[in-house]
Amino acid sequence: MDVLRFIARRFCRLLLTVFIISTLVFFVVRVIPGDPAMIIAGMDASPEDIMAIRARLGTDRSLVIQYFDWLWDIVHLDFGTTLISEEPVLTLILERFPLTLLLAVLGIAIGIVVAVPLGVISAVKRWSAWDYFGLVFSQLGMAIPSFWLGILLLLILAVRFPIFPLFGADSAAHLVLPAISLGFARAAVILRLTRASMVEELSKEYIITARAKGLTERMVKYKHALKNALLPIITITGIEFGYMLGGAIIIEQVFSLPGLGRLFLYGIYQRDFPLIQGGVIFVAIVFSLVNFLADILYSIVNPKIRVE
Amino acid sequence: MKKRFITMFLAAALLTASVGVAFAQGGSGVLNFGLSGNPDTLDPQKTSGTLTFQVLKSFYDTLVEPDVTGNLVPALAESWSVSADGLVWTFKLRAGVVFHNGQTFTSKDVKVTLDRIQAEAFASPKRSEFVPIKKIETPNDLTVVLSLGSAYAPFLATLASGWGAILPSGLIASGHNFAAQPVGTGPFKFERWVRDNKITMVRNDKYWIKGLPKLARVEFNIVPERAVQIQGLMSGAIEAVEFVDPEDLPILNANPKVTVKKELTSLIMVMAMNNSRPPLNDLRVRQAVNHAIDKQLVLDIAYGGGKVGSTFLDTGNAYYTDFSSFYPYNPEKAMQLLKEAGVGNKEFTIHVPQNYPLHVKAAELYQQMLEKVGMNVKLQLVDWSTWLSSVFSGGNYDFTVIGHTGKLDPDGTLAGYGAGKYVKWQNPVVADLLKRAVGVSDFAARKKMYTQALEIMAREVPFVYLGTSYRYVATRSNVVDFRMTPNIDTFDFRWTELK
Repeated sequence: MDVLRFIARRFCRLLLTVFIISTLVFFVVRVIPGDPAMIIAGMDASPEDIMAIRARLGTDRSLVIQYFDWLWDIVHLDFGTTLISEEPVLTLILERFPLTLLLAVLGIAIGIVVAVPLGVISAVKRWSAWDYFGLVFSQLGMAIPSFWLGILLLLILAVRFPIFPLFGADSAAHLVLPAISLGFARAAVILRLTRASMVEELSKEYIITARAKGLTERMVKYKHALKNALLPIITITGIEFGYMLGGAIIIEQVFSLPGLGRLFLYGIYQRDFPLIQGGVIFVAIVFSLVNFLADILYSIVNPKIRVE
Repeated sequence: MKKRFITMFLAAALLTASVGVAFAQGGSGVLNFGLSGNPDTLDPQKTSGTLTFQVLKSFYDTLVEPDVTGNLVPALAESWSVSADGLVWTFKLRAGVVFHNGQTFTSKDVKVTLDRIQAEAFASPKRSEFVPIKKIETPNDLTVVLSLGSAYAPFLATLASGWGAILPSGLIASGHNFAAQPVGTGPFKFERWVRDNKITMVRNDKYWIKGLPKLARVEFNIVPERAVQIQGLMSGAIEAVEFVDPEDLPILNANPKVTVKKELTSLIMVMAMNNSRPPLNDLRVRQAVNHAIDKQLVLDIAYGGGKVGSTFLDTGNAYYTDFSSFYPYNPEKAMQLLKEAGVGNKEFTIHVPQNYPLHVKAAELYQQMLEKVGMNVKLQLVDWSTWLSSVFSGGNYDFTVIGHTGKLDPDGTLAGYGAGKYVKWQNPVVADLLKRAVGVSDFAARKKMYTQALEIMAREVPFVYLGTSYRYVATRSNVVDFRMTPNIDTFDFRWTELK
């Protein structure tokens, strides 16, 4: 019962968030300079042609009318069509989502697999060679821009040694290098966090108690300490994962991948209002869902933290 | 053992090479093209994107088209005649042309296509260029008679432009989605468009020019990152790109498997000035700005070279006349003029669209050169959409750096100047000349009028006319006859082969 109420409350919160964000975006994209009709018309268009395009797009109507029109559609789950090519926004987003999801899952998986063990070892064997390696690794991961790493990986593993394809998105092989580039940066963040969190847990009093009880060092470190140390890691990983589901513009650009990032960026450049709005709503929903899942995971790892 | 392996390897390599040649001779080559962006739509009458037309050119034909020298020659129309008053144009259409969906091309397609672009609710960005057609008659399947309200010299150029693409009437009537599924009479048939990834097209075996196109397939790979395009060319994953950044020329030139061709574009590179803003409304200040710019240097460094210009037309244009003696590079003269005009330490801003790195680089050079003669100049990067609405249409700028694309007819470039179009320059004489020239069909008479107008524009310098830049088309060395259509800078794959 509690769980149902919790879900219901979260759902209402999600609706409110989406409503506020999308309303805000609705007005922001229309207030900033830029007119989709002019973009469609280009530099050499006549003023009459621009006006006719505005009339077709409906952007010549008052903002309030446009807003309620849009609200009516959204309530009916109609995201509208893009302004230029008149394609359904939802179709475009759903077309791109699988690739973005796959990339995010791979990226975060690489991040976790590399970072969590390395972070734990670093914390347990502080100032050892492992720890130094971890520190250097995370420093590099945070300092190296992902486009640079991406291009470097392409130069080495697609040009010098043509193991992976240079561009495109036709097979699993196309996703390896982008996933590594994405995962590297995530790994750096997660590693730092794991180490810090683990060090903190190991210094707490219950660890001394556990040791005093005569538990093996293994039990103390990997059962008690690690379990508690995981909580902040889950939170941050969840947030990172949420961000990645909104698309990875730079990685998509470097590796020529048709993900959500480039779609939304294009929408912004073209002032394609329905596309921007649909994108924002989509990302807000996905982000909220991921946070929700992270919270559930939280309570599984530590039943003491009951969802409330 | 090792030796034998090498011999076998060589034999295999030779075999594949010869198979490759055999394929090429059979005309079944596949060309991998590196395209820098995604088209905004594939409907030729609803867009104004240069990149979009570059892709669409292969799917569609127009009644007339520019040949390699820029002259308008028959395409879907075999011949045409025009009445003495220039108002009635009769086109004899080519027989036996079929659309990709199997429908035979007739005069009805011309009529329905022109009706489509003329419809107000359709809101084509180029509707106003087709509105002069007052009446469309189809006396028989292969004749179209177009009647104009008034003499309109750019008419053929309008029909030859990308917007003049002829669509099948049957599909127009049934509401076919041309934005996603182009169907034309062009040399290649549309196969698939995976947005932001790839557009593929295959040879139209029934194309009306016998023996063309030679390629079996063209794949447009959408590769936004310049460095990746270049690496693709170097490794052979990409066989041609349309535009190489001057910075990448050294490594491409050093690669024996890559051929770089230098061509003059039809771009008009300028730094526009807002003539309504003091002190830029003072001719002396605009002259000073022109004297301050070393045009060849800006062209060479920012745009990879080109031909210096002196008025508002591309330097390769048949209507172009050189007036470069008016304002040669002379910083001392610039300083003197600025002093006379009393410009002092007033701050100017150069607005430049950030999505064009070459213009940004040019703007930096302009800034330095203007500062050298004592002007106080700042740089402001804006996104393309902001540039269009706030700078170009809104007139909120002092200076802005941009390139104007080429047109098949000078009216496309010049219409509206002298009457306040974005540089806010008012000159009734020029405005009147440009307006009247539209009605004059005799080339010599028309050129005389344009020369007069262009000379005034060169003297009064509402712009800094930098000139026309080169374009570097890079292909693998086995790619032969990849062409760019003059004046409109679109790809033409019809003659392209892989050797």
